[in-house]
Amino acid sequence: MSSDTVIETAPPRTRARMETPGRRIWRATYQQFEFKLGLFLLVVLVGAALIYPHMTKLSPTRMHIMQRFWPPVFLPGGHWSHLLGTDQLGRDLFLRSLIGLQNALMISVSAVIIMFVVGAIVGLLAGFYGGIIDTVLMRITDAQLAVPVIILAITILTVHRPSPESVTLVLALSGWPGYARVVRSVTLAERQREYVRGAKILGASPIRIMLQMIAPNVLPPIAFVAVLDIARMMIFEAILGFIGIGVQPPTPTFGNIIADGRQYLINAWWISTMPGAFLFTTLLGINLVGSSIERARNKVLEGRI
Amino acid sequence: MAFLATFLIRRLAQGLLIVLIVSFAIFTALRLVPGDPARLILGPMASDAVVEQTAREMGLRDPIPVQYVHWLGQVLHGNLGTSFIKAKSGGEAAGGRDVSALGDKATVVELLEQSVPMTLQLAALALVFAFMISLPIGILAGMNSGGWFDRFAVYLGSAFVSIPNFWLAIVLALVVTAELQWIPSIGYEGFAYTILPAFVIAIEMSPIFMRSLASSIASAKQRNFVQLADVRGLSKRRVFLRHILRNAAVPVLNVFGVQIGAMLGGVLIVEYIFNYPGVGLLTVQAVLERDFPVIQGVALISACLFVVINILVDLISTKIDPRLDF
Repeated sequence: MSSDTVIETAPPRTRARMETPGRRIWRATYQQFEFKLGLFLLVVLVGAALIYPHMTKLSPTRMHIMQRFWPPVFLPGGHWSHLLGTDQLGRDLFLRSLIGLQNALMISVSAVIIMFVVGAIVGLLAGFYGGIIDTVLMRITDAQLAVPVIILAITILTVHRPSPESVTLVLALSGWPGYARVVRSVTLAERQREYVRGAKILGASPIRIMLQMIAPNVLPPIAFVAVLDIARMMIFEAILGFIGIGVQPPTPTFGNIIADGRQYLINAWWISTMPGAFLFTTLLGINLVGSSIERARNKVLEGRI
Repeated sequence: MAFLATFLIRRLAQGLLIVLIVSFAIFTALRLVPGDPARLILGPMASDAVVEQTAREMGLRDPIPVQYVHWLGQVLHGNLGTSFIKAKSGGEAAGGRDVSALGDKATVVELLEQSVPMTLQLAALALVFAFMISLPIGILAGMNSGGWFDRFAVYLGSAFVSIPNFWLAIVLALVVTAELQWIPSIGYEGFAYTILPAFVIAIEMSPIFMRSLASSIASAKQRNFVQLADVRGLSKRRVFLRHILRNAAVPVLNVFGVQIGAMLGGVLIVEYIFNYPGVGLLTVQAVLERDFPVIQGVALISACLFVVINILVDLISTKIDPRLDF
């Protein structure tokens, strides 16, 4: 629920420079070392995930009985052909982690997009119309927030066989209320501003006011922060995989690789820990990038830049 | 006081509505799950006729709204139902697949009585750990906003949020419990078994506290009355406690209220990994075994908890900062 940390958008105080807030946020972001470090981690890892599986002859699913439990390359007995070692079925852990990363990214990015769109629609409607529409939509939002997400997730994923699509939807379901609340609160403030009142008097339709006037002003600052939610969703996806209700094996996901390796923890500790370290590095990249964007955005919105 | 009364009545009414929506949604969702609980209770050997009869006796064939109203009526009498699976002793009903076994099962209230204190103990210790980590770091970072410690806190926070909780739990159980044998974990045989799970939850929670504490202290420092306090000759200690910390407390409290739901999620998965006998483990097992009454009970309790904590957070906020009204 990192989106709840969003501070109400204040109108830009001065327009001394003819630069849009978006551009200023990007510039303030890029000046931070954290951002460059995070971006570097992401480029390396995502680049590897996109390229390496096509370069190698290894398969993420084919088993090799003779190559089981090989340790990572930096331990005695390790082999350069298997950087992070092999699992209980002789599959290469580096390749499986990369495929897991591909799946995790696809699922969590689409989930964040869906929750952002749904949250934005609900928040705009509730904030703009107010009254009964606001009350109904916000009570639904509160109710969604009050259900422990994991109970809901387990329930839904036992009804529908877990697939990339259903996992994505469950993740989106867990995240939209945060966005709905934030979008509503900034829309409430925006509705009072002169240009909106003027447009109403001039007879602009509500849909036009919402989509063409309010949305472009209130949504981009919130969208910047959504980057942080990608990391949260990746952890959540891994948790679902870990308790066996994520995308099902043999498709590798971080969750099911770590869960499989758990029984061999004493003798082959790397099966569970290496993919976890891989996931940690990816998340660190996303969080560094996301939090530097967030800080830049807060500075710009508070008029400090 | 009149304010307080209307505030409480309004918020409690809203809360009640939320709890009703949540419980109905969970109730309905559970009944759409494939797998007949009557069949699960009786086992694969029972004939279809017996299964059907048991299902009717348990009210599983009524329309869902009828079942819901019936359940709600029982809840009002303090009866959350009886577990389909768990025996009174706490374990699985031994061989418990015989037809008349319903009577020997534990009630949901009993199960919760056993597990809720365990989870509260875990959550309390986790909160203590989280504050021990985030208070000093957050305050120092906020007081030196922009300095090297602030930047260090940013990196530390990013590292903490990036650690997947279930992975940390596995690694700690492997290193601290199995290899070094410092602190026991896995199961529960004494208070020491709470330490590692609580630590994992604390690591998960502390970055949010750290960040909100640092940023609200930094912005409180910029306020006029803090900047002018030196001129007024107030001691640094007094300025810090009465002016800065007090103003920074409200946003942090609000973050805490919002985080409760997320924290419950963390508790659930951590209890599952450490096999810690709290509500989380109870819930995961209940879902995997289609134990409807238990799931409903847990969902109801946690929704109530969410509502109550958020009301409390608002009340305490107005206590700390009297300018806020209800």
